[in-house]
Amino acid sequence: MLRRKFVAVALAAAVLTMGTAQAATISFGDAMSVMARDCGADVEKYCKNLNLGNNRIADCLVQNQDKVSPVCINTLVAVTASLKQRLAAQASVVKVCRGDAARRCTGVVQKDAHILDCLIKAQRHVTNKCNAAITDAGWR
Amino acid sequence: MRNRGIRGMAARLAGGAVAAALLLLPAGQAMAQALTAEQLIVGLQGPGTLTVAVDPRALAAEVQANVGKGAAALPTWSKLNSLTQLVVDINFQYDSVAIVPGSYRTIGLIADALHHPLLQRYKFLIVGHTDARGDPGYNLNLSLKRAEAIREALATTFAVAPDRLFAVGVGEELPFDPGNPDAAVNRRVQLVNIGPVD
Repeated sequence: MLRRKFVAVALAAAVLTMGTAQAATISFGDAMSVMARDCGADVEKYCKNLNLGNNRIADCLVQNQDKVSPVCINTLVAVTASLKQRLAAQASVVKVCRGDAARRCTGVVQKDAHILDCLIKAQRHVTNKCNAAITDAGWR
Repeated sequence: MRNRGIRGMAARLAGGAVAAALLLLPAGQAMAQALTAEQLIVGLQGPGTLTVAVDPRALAAEVQANVGKGAAALPTWSKLNSLTQLVVDINFQYDSVAIVPGSYRTIGLIADALHHPLLQRYKFLIVGHTDARGDPGYNLNLSLKRAEAIREALATTFAVAPDRLFAVGVGEELPFDPGNPDAAVNRRVQLVNIGPVD
């Protein structure tokens, strides 16, 4: 029980830290590679017939945290935070880059990746904030 | 590479050996190479205008009514062939809908691709296929449940909008290698771009 509380606190701390520190994010693919590497054996052992969706694997690992390897629990916390951070970064790009798009990409059709492509090409003239948002979104 | 953007990268990939290998080699060989999000983004890009309107419910009804009759009984399904699509390898626990940890990365890469601005406004069909071992009706049900499991993971853990994702199963009816219906290469997941979100 105590450990579960610890996980919750660590998770909240990780999310907060990452949210403010603007650390570089990693892709969902890379996050899942780390998850499989560090938690694969525990998933096979304790959560074999459960799925990734609806938090079932994460919930199962936390429920079995007394048996699950500490490395896996740490990775679970980091990966959960990393997914949230990447999603937040992607959601923020349009807002953060709105001014840059208006300045540098007038007349560019606003669909698919046209604006993004324009901003990437204009990188040297784009604000640091917008450049950082695109990088954190994983779209560079 | 870094500064040219995804469109520049797409152009190079499309003309290069990587994309060609992914599209032309038998799935088993293509899958043996490490899949990347870039390959998924390039391979699943929208056609602009869609040549075929796809109704996932019509697909499900057609295969349900023709279990065990194979491709010839599935004219609606054959129309999917003209759409932009990729085959990926996602493994499940035996007789279960649980994705094995070894395939978590592939699910993550699909999520990366679906969140990319180049694919963000498109809907996708997730089609589950089995090999021919076992009962065709059972296989159809299993393939549907597995496709639904992938959809659920993408729509919850990876926050892809659920209205962009449609899961259907086709069991053993459309083998990748019809000459070897029991072969592992027939167990696969097909991702099909079915046009812009309404």
